[in-house]
Amino acid sequence: MNVKVEVIGVSPPCQRCKTTEENAKKAAEKLAAEGIKVEISKLNVASQETISKYGVISSPAIAINGIVKIMGKVPDASVIERLIRQSITS
Amino acid sequence: MNLLEKKRALKTISMLAFITFFIAMMIRAIVGAYTLTPTSTAEDLQGLPIWEIPLVYMWDYAQHGWICLGFAFVVSGLFAEFIPKPFMLKYMSSRKPIAYVIAMLIAPLFCVCSCTMVPLFSGLIYAGGGIGPALTFLLAAPANNLLADIVTIQVLGWQIALADIIAAGVSAVIIGFIVSKTPWGKRFEQKFQKNQAQTTAIELIEEPLDMRLWSALKFGGYLAKRIIPAFALGLVVVSYVQAFFPAELVKAYLTRSTGVIYSAMLAGPLYTPTLIEVALGKALVNLGMAPAATIAWLMGQPYDIPNMLSTSRIVGWKIVITYGLLAFLAAIFSGLLYGVLTGGF
Repeated sequence: MNVKVEVIGVSPPCQRCKTTEENAKKAAEKLAAEGIKVEISKLNVASQETISKYGVISSPAIAINGIVKIMGKVPDASVIERLIRQSITS
Repeated sequence: MNLLEKKRALKTISMLAFITFFIAMMIRAIVGAYTLTPTSTAEDLQGLPIWEIPLVYMWDYAQHGWICLGFAFVVSGLFAEFIPKPFMLKYMSSRKPIAYVIAMLIAPLFCVCSCTMVPLFSGLIYAGGGIGPALTFLLAAPANNLLADIVTIQVLGWQIALADIIAAGVSAVIIGFIVSKTPWGKRFEQKFQKNQAQTTAIELIEEPLDMRLWSALKFGGYLAKRIIPAFALGLVVVSYVQAFFPAELVKAYLTRSTGVIYSAMLAGPLYTPTLIEVALGKALVNLGMAPAATIAWLMGQPYDIPNMLSTSRIVGWKIVITYGLLAFLAAIFSGLLYGVLTGGF
């Protein structure tokens, strides 16, 4: 199982974006133990690349397998974990 | 109801109680005309040892100000959480006139943190949203953000606050509109016309109420943690201004119509975070600054130098100088208009 998680934040990262990324990493570690591979990448919210992919969003945001699930707030690791699980079952 | 559900219901109720408490305290303060600002005068402060002045002033502020600040942080958190963002961003990045209205009225309510503001501004531009609404947003968001508005109302009174909110909002729209009609504004817009935003890749999750309340409060707490240290430092400076700055100078230069121009000139380059600007404004008002000059002072926010520097990297110098100059003129004009209408020179 391979899940792509994108953490979309400002660059240089602000505190909230950093916490979001850390929480995503925590969720990934937990899922790795169950054999679920999570690939985390960072996107700059103000880059043309991000805008053409997702439009205007407020940071920090999290996209899973190319769909923005959370924007404008810092999700807990458990929330990210649940979202990743959902993306596998659906 | 099982145990887990009971626990969550209890959590929800206690969070709602916490929120209600601050709202009720605030209403009580407004209804009872209870002052939420420091009452120390220059005479009170001057007799104290030099190190004690900021402590006394801050204690004075904390005694009155905790209700107002607590309320402001709670409400900011709630707005950031519950305002439907995808809907708002969609309309703001269109080129219809409604984009201006949204940028002026709604955007400032949830942009209480500068780390969301500049990225959103560049986002709007790259998405082909038009320079006008994007600029309106950039100018209105710091001037009229919820936190600043609540503090302004409590510190400087609702007449000044209301005049400032309206003047800042209206001038943000006018400036955005004018810049979008200049040759360099149009040229800039054309560069990004093809980048139409697509919003199909967004499916936000629905969270239960208790989790949403919790993240609203968490965000309020985050804001408090970031803002209060800087605010406290600002109060130290303000306490010395209040104690030692000669009132004659303020009365000579920051009154009448020339005072409006001077204070508009002072407010821009003198970069201060919005909340400190309000506190410093209050100290100057106590020393004799006229209401008209206060309006010009408060409207200095958008053309401070660090703000213009970071925007110039995105839109270039020509647009920055145009809007900076217009914002400066708008500050003077609004100050004068307020003076003429209320006689508050």
